[in-house]
Amino acid sequence: GDALLPAPQSISILSTNMKHFLTWSPVIIQGATVRYSVEFQGEYEREYANGSWIPISECSLTTATLCNVTQDISASVPYRLRVRAELGSARSPWGTTEGFFTRAMTSLTPPQLRVLADGHHLLVELADMGPSFQFHVLYWKKGQESRVQQKVTREVSSVVHLDTMEAGAEYCVKAQAHVEAINRSSSFSPTQCVRAQGDTSLWL
Amino acid sequence: GSCRVSMSMAEIRAGFTAIKANIQSRDPIRTLSILSHPHSLHKLKPSDRCCITHQLFTFYVDKVFKHCRTEDSFVNRKISSIANSFLSASRKLGQCREQNNCVCGEESTEKFKQILANYEGLNVTSAAMKSLGELDILLDWMEKSR
Repeated sequence: GDALLPAPQSISILSTNMKHFLTWSPVIIQGATVRYSVEFQGEYEREYANGSWIPISECSLTTATLCNVTQDISASVPYRLRVRAELGSARSPWGTTEGFFTRAMTSLTPPQLRVLADGHHLLVELADMGPSFQFHVLYWKKGQESRVQQKVTREVSSVVHLDTMEAGAEYCVKAQAHVEAINRSSSFSPTQCVRAQGDTSLWL
Repeated sequence: GSCRVSMSMAEIRAGFTAIKANIQSRDPIRTLSILSHPHSLHKLKPSDRCCITHQLFTFYVDKVFKHCRTEDSFVNRKISSIANSFLSASRKLGQCREQNNCVCGEESTEKFKQILANYEGLNVTSAAMKSLGELDILLDWMEKSR
């Protein structure tokens, strides 16, 4: 019965940019395919619903040792997660995460951006990081670091107009990602500089 | 003072929208309203808004969500998401009330009494499902009165 099937070990949550994954070590039974089931519990379930646990259907009887729990860790409260092994009718004890996980613990990476000079126009394109994200874009004329301007945007995967540049001048841009739901920001991306097109008019 | 609470309305709205049809199909009594009878939330004075919001969040956490468990795993997961968001927000609103930034006037006290009476007028599961089905009434009112 159950006693033969050990609980999964090394259970942990990997969370980057508000995407949360539960991982665990496989339970090895020679010649058998072990499956796993995952459940979660928020603070509401602990305090108002008799400590109940909620199964994650996408990770019920899965052979994977990874489960995407992003959709379920969707409030700013402490959560616990657990996983057990299953083989036929045998069930292992539950293995539960150590302590609590709150989505504010996610690690935030700087945004990826592409800075363009289109004639006199300073443009930036930001890679999509997910629905929770907005971006603080800082830009300045090289040499005038004290006159930095900021633009806040949610626009991703399309070009955003930042400024009209002086002919031939060089402009620099950097950005950080911000998540309102947890009120945290990433570090800044590396600075990228581009030069505006020179003046094409000729003095005769 | 004033009470500013950050909460992800978009996430709550998305969670509710995903299960709204399912939840409302479980509510056979269409002629009654828990939140809007006899008067709409929109009639409340601005000064009463903070208090009624806190009372309603506490009402949903204490009385509603626990009686809305279904046979549908997806629905249960979305209810959990909303319930945990409401719990987080009601905690913050509670802090506002402790700091006297969320005073309860006569109007909000009266309105909340009426909501409780509407709720207790039905059997608990019907009342809970109806209240959950009316969540967009609360969300709309909160967004309009921001």
